[in-house]
Amino acid sequence: MHEIRIANDLSEIVLEVASNEKLSVVSRVNITFGEMVQIVPEIFDFAFREAVRGSIASEAVVNFEIIKIKLKCRECGNVFNLNGSRFACQECNSSDLEIIAGKEMFVKSIEGE
Amino acid sequence: MKNILDRNQDKADEVRKLLREKNVVMVNLISSPGAGKTTLLERICENLGNKMKIGIIEGDITTDRDGQRLKKYNIPIVVINTEGGCHLDSHSISKVLDLFDLNALDVLFVENVGNLICPAHFDLGESFKVAMVSTAEGDDKPEKYPMLFREAKAVLLNKTDLIPYTNFNLSNFKKDLIKINAQIPLFEISCTSGDGLREWFEWLSEQLDIFIKI
Ligand SMILES: Nc1nc2c(ncn2[C@@H]2O[C@H](COP(=O)(O)OP(=O)(O)OP(=O)(O)O)[C@@H](O)[C@H]2O)c(=O)[nH]1
Ligand SMILES: [Mg+2]
Ligand SMILES: [Zn+2]
Repeated sequence: MHEIRIANDLSEIVLEVASNEKLSVVSRVNITFGEMVQIVPEIFDFAFREAVRGSIASEAVVNFEIIKIKLKCRECGNVFNLNGSRFACQECNSSDLEIIAGKEMFVKSIEGE
Repeated sequence: MKNILDRNQDKADEVRKLLREKNVVMVNLISSPGAGKTTLLERICENLGNKMKIGIIEGDITTDRDGQRLKKYNIPIVVINTEGGCHLDSHSISKVLDLFDLNALDVLFVENVGNLICPAHFDLGESFKVAMVSTAEGDDKPEKYPMLFREAKAVLLNKTDLIPYTNFNLSNFKKDLIKINAQIPLFEISCTSGDGLREWFEWLSEQLDIFIKI
C-alpha cells in the first residue's frame, strides 16, 4: 500500500506546482513509474483521488507510463531489458548488474489552465 | 521531471550525513509481519550488547508492545507509531534521532513495519537494509518482492527450526533468491534455537567496521 503515501506526496507536488503556475484547474498529471516500484495503477488512482478531493486537481486524470526494468552488466557492459525475472546477464551470465531503469517515480508534467 | 519522493529522499540524505558525522551505523530491518524482527533484536541485545553500543527504533503501526519486549535490555529505544502507515519514512526517523545520544552509539537498528513491499521504497537514511523472511511464509518471496531483495545487503532466513513442519523447500528458496540477486549473502538462522546467529553476528560486526572506517 505504498501507493497511498506516494499518491499523497504526488498530490502535494501537483498542488504546489499548480499554485506556482497560478492554475485554476488541473486537468491531467503525467507520471512515470518503473516496474520495480510495483505500483498497482487502480490503487494508486484511488489513493490520488482521495488525496486531491475538494482541490483544484479533484478532476485531474492521472496518466501512467510504466518503464521496463533495464540492466547493465558490470562484467561485460551489456545493456538489456529484464526478461522474465532472472537478474543475470544475457551475454555472459554475470549477476553483477546495475539497475539503470525501472526504479523511477517521476512527475513528468502537469496540465491545466 | 521531478522525483515524487524528493521530500523523503532529501530528509534521508540529511539523516545519513548526520549519522556519518556521528559514526553511527543504521540498519533498516525489513520483513513480513511476524517473521521474527523483534526476536532477532532480543538476540542481538543479549549477544552483542557488551560488544557494541546499541540503540533501537521500533516502527509499530499502533502499539508499543515490541518496545516493551525490549525494555529489559536497558538500551536506548524509541517507538514510532505510524498510525496505520505501512512503512517508516525519513521524516519520522529524523524527528526521533534527537531523542538519542548519538555520540554514545555505535549502531542503530530500525525495526520497520512488517511488510515486504512498502519499506523497500523509502530510504530512511540507513547505512544498509537487511531483509528477513521466515520459513513459515513459504519459499517464493524473492521473486514476488524483487525490490527488497535487490536493495538489501543481506538476507536472513529465520525459523529454520520449523522447516521439518512446513512445506518450505530450502533449495527452491535459494534458487528463487539467486534469480533475483545472486550476490546477496544469505544467513539461515533460528532466533529461538540460536542456530546460525553467530555467523550473522560476525558478518554484522564486519559491516560495522567497514562503515566506521569509510
Ligand atoms: N519457531 C520459531 N519461532 C520464532 C523464531 N523467531 C521468532 N519466532 C516467533 O515468531 C513470532 C513472531 O516473532 P516477532 O519477533 O514478534 O516477529 P516480528 O517480525 O517482530 O513481528 P511484527 O513486529 O509483528 O512484524 C513470535 O511468537 C516468536 O517467538 C524462530 O526462529 N523459530
Ligand atoms: Mg516486531
Ligand atoms: Zn555480461
